[in-house]
Amino acid sequence: MIGSYSVSTRTECLQQIAQQRAMTRRSFLRSAAAVGTASRLFGFAPLRAAALPKEQKTVVVTFGGGARDEETFAPEGQENIPHLMNELIPQATFCTQVVNHGILGHYVATATLATGVYERFDNFADVAPKNPTVFEYFRKGLGRPATDTWVIAPSNGFNRIGQSDGTQFAPGFGAQVILPKHLLASALSKTSTSSAGLDFLLQDNYEDPLFTPPAVQSNVQLSGLIEMLHLSLDDFTHHAKTLSSADELSVYVMRQLMRQFAPSLLWITLHDMDIAHSGAYSLYLEGIRRTDRLCAEIWQMIETDPEYKGRTTILILPDFGRDSDFSASGNGFQHHRTGDPLSRTTWMMALGPHIRQSRTVDRPLDSLDLVATLGAMMNFATPSAKGKPIVEVL
Amino acid sequence: MHPRDLRVETFAKYPPQARSLAEANLRVLKRMPLILLSLVLRQVIRYDWSFPAEREQLLLQFEFLDHLDAGSFDALMSAFSAIPLPDELTSTDWVDHPQRFSEQLTAYLWSQNQIDNYHQTAQEYQQRLQKAFPPRPPVVPRWTIVVVGRGSQPSERPLFRRLLPRGTLFTQIDPAGGLELLLDAVRLRAQQHPLEYGHWYIEGGEPHPEAAAVPGLTMMSYNRLASAAKQEFALLNRFTKRASPGGTVGVEAVSSYIAGLGPEDLNLKGTPADAALRNFEVNILTQGAGCQIYSTTFVQWASRECLHRAQPLTLLARFATRQSDAPMEQLLARDPLVQPQDKAGSLIDADMGAYYTWINQSRLADAEQSRFLAWFEDHGLACAIAPPLPPGRISTAPITMRRVLDAMA
Repeated sequence: MIGSYSVSTRTECLQQIAQQRAMTRRSFLRSAAAVGTASRLFGFAPLRAAALPKEQKTVVVTFGGGARDEETFAPEGQENIPHLMNELIPQATFCTQVVNHGILGHYVATATLATGVYERFDNFADVAPKNPTVFEYFRKGLGRPATDTWVIAPSNGFNRIGQSDGTQFAPGFGAQVILPKHLLASALSKTSTSSAGLDFLLQDNYEDPLFTPPAVQSNVQLSGLIEMLHLSLDDFTHHAKTLSSADELSVYVMRQLMRQFAPSLLWITLHDMDIAHSGAYSLYLEGIRRTDRLCAEIWQMIETDPEYKGRTTILILPDFGRDSDFSASGNGFQHHRTGDPLSRTTWMMALGPHIRQSRTVDRPLDSLDLVATLGAMMNFATPSAKGKPIVEVL
Repeated sequence: MHPRDLRVETFAKYPPQARSLAEANLRVLKRMPLILLSLVLRQVIRYDWSFPAEREQLLLQFEFLDHLDAGSFDALMSAFSAIPLPDELTSTDWVDHPQRFSEQLTAYLWSQNQIDNYHQTAQEYQQRLQKAFPPRPPVVPRWTIVVVGRGSQPSERPLFRRLLPRGTLFTQIDPAGGLELLLDAVRLRAQQHPLEYGHWYIEGGEPHPEAAAVPGLTMMSYNRLASAAKQEFALLNRFTKRASPGGTVGVEAVSSYIAGLGPEDLNLKGTPADAALRNFEVNILTQGAGCQIYSTTFVQWASRECLHRAQPLTLLARFATRQSDAPMEQLLARDPLVQPQDKAGSLIDADMGAYYTWINQSRLADAEQSRFLAWFEDHGLACAIAPPLPPGRISTAPITMRRVLDAMA
């Protein structure tokens, strides 16, 4: 009998299972390596730190929606992530075990990633993170202007993620947050372009489609933002019609940001795969495949942009996982509500000029480690962040 | 209110049988910590519409707790008691709205980093109950049959690959009359082992016409419930507009409103005799995510809940195609039965749904003796999991569906 039905389930051995998953991910990688990348993956690639330029840039890509091993790094899942497997991992340091001990809601978990402290607010509340964000540390620590760090976020609920609530850090150093869906909706209202056929880009979230998100109060006026990005409203809305998902819109906006401002710290959260909440497995797989493709596109954007090429580190990580098939209180891939070990355990990959290629890191890491790592990587202090720098990517 | 303050009249708003049950077990209820009590009251308040298997488990639980000596009782409750609760939670109306209390409790536990502790405590409690009264095996081995792919064509993606390690894959089944034969098998089991809510047929499209005539077969279908799902969305829209015109409505408020909906609200009509089924259907539509808009999700979720709650002897779950993806606003507003269908995606959904249904069957008593069959409708492919069949084997010999069933018996 498989873990019988119960009020709720929770195994005691989070760490043990996390470790098992890490080793399994490593063996998945090994199996993939055997078909063509073995020499790169397990060889000792030279550090390129000597070539590290001074003006380093960092791009953080998170997945809101979580992807499980079954659909990604497991043998049967690798068909869904050909770009990660064949293009990015051979160039990356891959951390096989990143554990999120916090609340498994996308906004609060992403806020946790951005502050390095487990945020405890209501995932659906219109609140800013309580603790200072990495964007504030970055701007204040390095004296950078507002245009040097941006967040591209998937839903209106994320509109406060760029700056903490001000109780621990003086306001005015946050990142500017772009909500592409909000941008598009506003642009549509100002142009002659019909919104017909663009509704699919405007879905706010999949976790609770009936929830009314808070009204967005952006510091940056929409018209100003469009102008800053040198976008024609018509071009923007027409281009939107060529896209197939909200995440593609986010990546499009990211490209404009890179061209116009070349920010040094750029954070994008992808969200398509969270369609899993609808219970349609095929749509979840589509979301994963699209995310896989977009990650490769983002890396291509970096590698082909003179402002970024050769001086940019990219960190890619899901915010957390999704429920295990065998957690009796959950319903498998559909949600992330049980807090079971697989829903908490995920991975991270890092690519860049000073990142050792084809390396795996199996020791357990914490989601909180991201901020401390970014601080150490870019040379700014993160005094309130609780995690530790991941030395293997420094 | 504190649990020790519970009185007979406290349960005045409960349905009749639930009220009697609460009164009969008042002594036990008063001694429970609020966290556990709220979970138990969630079961008590729906007792009038519970399935026999659920009733039996609840009664056994009360009997077990009532016979514990004071020391053992307190020891069993201590882990629940040790989880602190804020006044704003304990002062809510957890007697009449235990579901709402549970939602608020969950949010609180997450916010206080207590959710893992709670899960651990709940699991240990459950294990203690199972040790005290082990699940009773069914009178005959359980059978679950999952039919996938109605209206879909084979794809390059292999079907049943998650099931194969547990069963035998047949690749050359004669599909002619397969569904009718499976329905006959279900009919025979319902006839030979009559049991209230013991034999189920869950359909993702239009039910097979012969199924309605099977005595003792509980039937539910997506097509029949689609209008109820639309009604649910209409009511929700009305609620959110009324609750906060142009503003924000909290998730908890929406959840509480949904939890309060009954069969009448969703225009689900029936007789007193099938009140349990009507309420089950409401639970499916109001507690499941996506099952209102996608028929594939509906079949998977309804099968899960059916196995969990009714613990049937027989389940026939048949997937159909679902409507194509669209913006959520459209999905919530339009009629799913007249939309273009995503045939390829539906087959993938159903394949995963079959696997989940096997997992859920495997959670029930005597799972080792259970039989499970997943069949690609109108095609020659099926995976059968049964004690007589070797796992992981692929049979390429031509065979009839009848012989597959015989081999599983």
